[in-house]
This record gives sequence, structure tokens and C-alpha cells, in this order.
Amino acid sequence: MTALPRAERRSRAPYLFVAPAVLLFVAFLAVPIGYAIYLSARGLRLTGKGIFGTREEVFVGLDNYVKTLTDPGFFAGFGRLALYGLISVPLTLGLALLFALLLDHAGSRAKRFSRTAIFIPYAVPGVTASLLWGFMYLPSTSPFSYLTRELGLGEIPFLGAGGIYPSLANIAVWGGVGFNMIIIFTSLRGIPSELYDAARIDGASEWQIAWRVKIPLVAPALVLTGLFSLIGTLQVYGEPTTVKPMTSEISGDWVPLMHIYRDAFVRDDLALASAASVLLAVGTLVVSVLLLKVTQKRAFGGMQ
Amino acid sequence: MRITRLAGSIAALSTAAVLAACSSGTSGSTSTPTAASGPVTLEFWCWGTTQKPKVEAFNKSHPDIQVKHTDVGGGTDTAAKLLTATRAGNGPDAACLEYETLPSMIVAGALADISAHTGDVKTAFSPEVWNLTSFDGAVYGVPQDVGPMVLVYNKKRFQELKIEPPATWQDFAKVAADVREKDPETYLATFAPAEFGNFAGLAQQAGASWWKVQDQTWTVGIADQASLAVADFWQGLIDKDLVKAEPLLTPEWNNKLNKGKILTWPSALWAPGVLYGVAEKQAGDWAIAPLPQWKEGDDRVAFQGGSALTVTKTSKHAEAAATFAKWMNTDKAANAVQIELGEYPASLAGQEAARTSAPPKLTANQKDYWDIATKAAQHTIPHISWGPNVSTAGSAFQDAVATAVRDHTPLRDALTKTHNLVVADMKTTGFKVAGP
Repeated sequence: MTALPRAERRSRAPYLFVAPAVLLFVAFLAVPIGYAIYLSARGLRLTGKGIFGTREEVFVGLDNYVKTLTDPGFFAGFGRLALYGLISVPLTLGLALLFALLLDHAGSRAKRFSRTAIFIPYAVPGVTASLLWGFMYLPSTSPFSYLTRELGLGEIPFLGAGGIYPSLANIAVWGGVGFNMIIIFTSLRGIPSELYDAARIDGASEWQIAWRVKIPLVAPALVLTGLFSLIGTLQVYGEPTTVKPMTSEISGDWVPLMHIYRDAFVRDDLALASAASVLLAVGTLVVSVLLLKVTQKRAFGGMQ
Repeated sequence: MRITRLAGSIAALSTAAVLAACSSGTSGSTSTPTAASGPVTLEFWCWGTTQKPKVEAFNKSHPDIQVKHTDVGGGTDTAAKLLTATRAGNGPDAACLEYETLPSMIVAGALADISAHTGDVKTAFSPEVWNLTSFDGAVYGVPQDVGPMVLVYNKKRFQELKIEPPATWQDFAKVAADVREKDPETYLATFAPAEFGNFAGLAQQAGASWWKVQDQTWTVGIADQASLAVADFWQGLIDKDLVKAEPLLTPEWNNKLNKGKILTWPSALWAPGVLYGVAEKQAGDWAIAPLPQWKEGDDRVAFQGGSALTVTKTSKHAEAAATFAKWMNTDKAANAVQIELGEYPASLAGQEAARTSAPPKLTANQKDYWDIATKAAQHTIPHISWGPNVSTAGSAFQDAVATAVRDHTPLRDALTKTHNLVVADMKTTGFKVAGP
């Protein structure tokens, strides 16, 4: 074996070590993103061949971006998303924090069981969960509506104009609480118990310990789960798509991703869909960075 | 911190990545039928219960052509997947497509003109049916099943309520009011905002022509007088609460159907099979009647649904695929499978054979089932043509009509909105469109 000169060996090694990561990144992230950006500047336009003409891919510049940005339907989707997020994100985080604190509380019973019970909905696939809840919302199969009907109160309009947002948010909350709870709970377990002892010696009640010691110390976990929930909200697709056939309330472009799916696969305009998804990706990135910037000092001030 | 930021970027960017991963290059490499040595293997995409037995029978009788059948989803899914696969250059050799999606597939360059191989089967179909797959002498598929429109109704409940199937749409409105009075929990019919093909059929029956093409110049009539009149008719029924405006075939709807609270489905000959799937217990209770007419004594109906077996442009065995397509839809054994499983064959011989067979299970007690079916099939409107962006029209229609039903805004405005969107889309692509 001919050994390479020392210096050369040293200069090559780092590249070898990062090569797998770089290759995977290029193949599965950089190239597809690059292709999406390329595709967003293309469009299918008619050429003379064939009896009706044939649609072929040509360069159309920023046409797709202009079309997306001037489409009120696309922005209406973000409006609906905001309404949905306003319900689902605080509820998911609030419940996750509450459950985590309860589980962490020294006096609580059946912890293992409760933890699993709260976590299990997260293991149910989104489509299954949506179908399950869909059945529970439809007037003639809903146990809730059955009860209210028997009590003479009429049916609950789960899938009506007013009910659709809380109904869909409920599916997300039901599925999301468990996962977020585990993150916060893990973070709680990491707090040194001396801090509690110190607080107790100072005369703090359990309530004060939770409020003044535990919650500030799990702030980084809250920021993380908040970020995940926010991104998750921007990517809402499965629940409304699954529930769509059950109600006239949900249109084909109800949320941005449904709009993108419709353009790409129903209306056969991949280029327009690419432009919209590039915009959505950039938007998500900007919002994520902003959220982190705003919360950075508060959440990580004393930790880093 | 670093981890969260990276996770954020990955999550954000994967949206774009997922979409890009499903996309493709340019379309349509042309191919010629090659003389194959040894058995040719064909990839075939189709949905529905009739395909498997038909393909098995074909494979048995054709040792030189072996067909591999895959069910990639219903009509809309198959069309969408075929487009993507064609662009990626790995599409199947043959595929089923609904008639209404044919023009958009032709324009996308996905289908092969098989007129060179279909001379011998042209007369096996009525001209109206043959026109569903042939355009200006080019043939883009062999018709498989057709759905002449009929009124499917719950005869048992009709008798209980002492009502008769309406002969005209005016009668339909009267019967609808009658039903509401006799049983306030029951509706004569449903108006489903998502049923684009159904509404198109009803409008065509009233004289509408949604797309026409001459010398590559299109005329779009989605909001023409006849269509608007049909919209106004249903508007009246919805406003007076005489029909139920809600989606079809949801657990909710199926439940009402099973309880006898929905009495009719103005649809097509394939409907008894669909209803049997959700209301098995009502087998024998139902019957079909001719679709109500706009003018008394008329007997014109449109097709709703139905599919053709097409050959793709990317196929390297176009001739073998054409042979397969012809056999699947004209051979006696193939037609027999269709009839047995409740699919109404497109071929004349198949329709003739259907006449002497037993009615579908849902309508098992109706002796004149096939007489009514045959009569409907013989009076379909010729030259129904669909546009190059039917899928766009369908999704625009669904959204506009669902919004109109929800917000109680006029249905005719929803049609106009759909029309404008369809025309704008065609103009963007570069089609010549006459008129507004």
C-alpha cells in the first residue's frame, strides 16, 4: 500500500466524510428543488401538430408567478389556513403542555398508561383519523348528533359553514397533542431536581413551581413544538382532502397545498403548481426564520 | 437551535421537492408498431370489476399477446397518472379513459391514432358511440361501456307514496313537491354540486353544446341558454327545498338512501350497479324509467360517463394493443363478462346480448329493464364533444357550484364563472376560442 503524503491525506479526509451527506442532499433535495424552480418558469402551450394541436412545454418566464400572485383563490387559502391555525396551534400546544405538566407532577397516578393513551392518536395515520372523525361528524352517523337529536336539540352542524374549522382543527389537535406532549415531557424530565427542591425550600407551591420554574425552563421545547405546529399548519392537506367528499364546504383549493395539488394533478399544470409551491416554500422559510428570531432571546437567552 | 432551523428548512423545502419529484420532462416520443418475435407483453391500466376476467380470457385466447393488467384508480386518477407516466416515458401500452377526458389526453399527446387498425370494428358500434372516440377520421380508442342517462328510482317507495315516475322535468318538480308533502323527511332527488358529468348530461339533453371545434377553433357553451335554463330549474328546486343539495355517495347519503329517504337518482345505466354496492338490502326494490324530458313526447338523452380503451403514444406495440382493445370490446366472451357484472357494453352486439339477459340485482324485479335501457341507448344525442381542458372545467364547476349552493347565490352565475375560467384557461394555453 502506497501511503499518501500526510498533508494530502488530511486534506482529502473531510471531503470523504461529508460526501454521503452531500450526495444525498444534492440528489434528494437540491436537484428536485432546482427542478421545481426550473419548472416554474415553464408552461404547456399549444403547438400546431395533431388534430386539436398538441400542448408542449415552453419557457414562459415569470407568467406562472404572476398568475399565482394575482389569484385571489390562492390567498383565500392562506386566510382559511390562518383561521384553522388560530384554533389548532394554541390548542395543540396548550393541551400538550398541560398533559406534560400533569404527567410530570409527582402526585399523578397511572402515568405510563396515560402517557401511552395520549400518545396513541399520533400513531393513527392522518387519513384514517380524518375518516374516523368524518363519520363522527356526518349527521346520520354521528354519535354526538344522535344524542342532541334525541334530546330534541337538533343536529350539530360539524361540517357546516361555521363548524368546519373547529371540526378540522379538532382532527389535528387529536392527532398532534401526543407527539408535542412527549417533546415537552422529555424536556421536563431533563430539569435537575435541585431546582424543585430549592423552590420548595423557598416556599413555592406546586402551582408556582409549574408556572415559575417548569414552564420557563421548557421554553425551548415550546418554541420547537410551536415551530413544528406552524409549519404543519402551512402544510395542511390530508384532513381537508379526506373530508372534502363529505361536505360542500371544502372547495378544491381550500388550503394552499390543495390548490397546488389541484393545479398539478387535476388541471395538469405542473408548472403553475411549481411556481405556487416555490412561493409557499419561501414563505414558510421566511415565517420560520422570523418566528425563531422573535423567540430566540426569550427561549435561548440563558441556555446557550 | 441549529437542529431546529435545519428541520424547519427541510420541512419547508420538502413541499417543493415532493412536487418536483413527481414531475417530468417533455412528452410524446412517437413509436411504430414493431414486428415482435415471441409473445408481446402489454401493460394495461384500467379500473372496474370487469377487467380482470376479461383480461384473463384474452390472455388465454391470445398466446402471442400477453396483457398485464394494473388497476391504478378510477377514471380521474387513471387519466392523471397516465399523463404523468407518458411524460416520464414509462406509460402503459393501453389504458381505459373516460370519454370526457379523451380530448385533453389527445392534446397532451398521450394517445396514439389507431385508425389504421380499427377499420374492421367501426361498424360494430352505433355512429353516436363511435363518435365518442373518433375525431376528424382519427381514432383514439375503442368504446368500452356507455352510460345512456335514465331515471333510477326506488319503485317500492314510489308505490308506498302513490307516485309515478315523472315523464317531464316539469312533472319532476311537481312530484318533488308532492314527496315533500307526503313525507317531510324524504326527498325525490339530490342535487350534488360535484356532479359535473351529470350536469353536463342534463344540459346536453336540454340542447346545450359545451364544446365545439372546427378547424382548431373552439366554441365554448358552458353558460349557453340551455345550460342556464337547466341551472335555473335546479335552482328553483333547491330554493323551495324540493331536492336535497348535498354530495352523493357519502356515508350520510348512503344512510338516507338505505332508509328510503332519497327516492331517485337521475343518472345513467351504470347507476344500479353503484347503488347495489351501497344499498344491497334494497335489491329488487328499484327500477329504471326513461329520463324526464324537457318537452313532452321527446326521447333524447345524453351519455353520462362510460369509458374507452385507448392505446398510448409511448407504446412500442401499437398494433398488438389495438388488437387487444378491439377484442376487449367486441368479443362475445368479453361482452358477456360486462353484462354479467352490470356494465352496459358499447358495442351493438353486446347491447343486443344484454337485451336477453337478466336485469341487474338492484332492479331484479323489473321485467322491461332492458327495453327501457335499449330505448335510451338508441336515442342518445349524437356528436357530444368534450373540450381539451375538461378536468379544469370539472374542478372549476365543482368549486363554483358548491360555493353557490353554500352561499345561496345563483347557480347560473356559477356556470358563467366556470365558463369564463375555462375560456381563459384555453386562451392561456393558446387555443383559438371563438366568441366570449
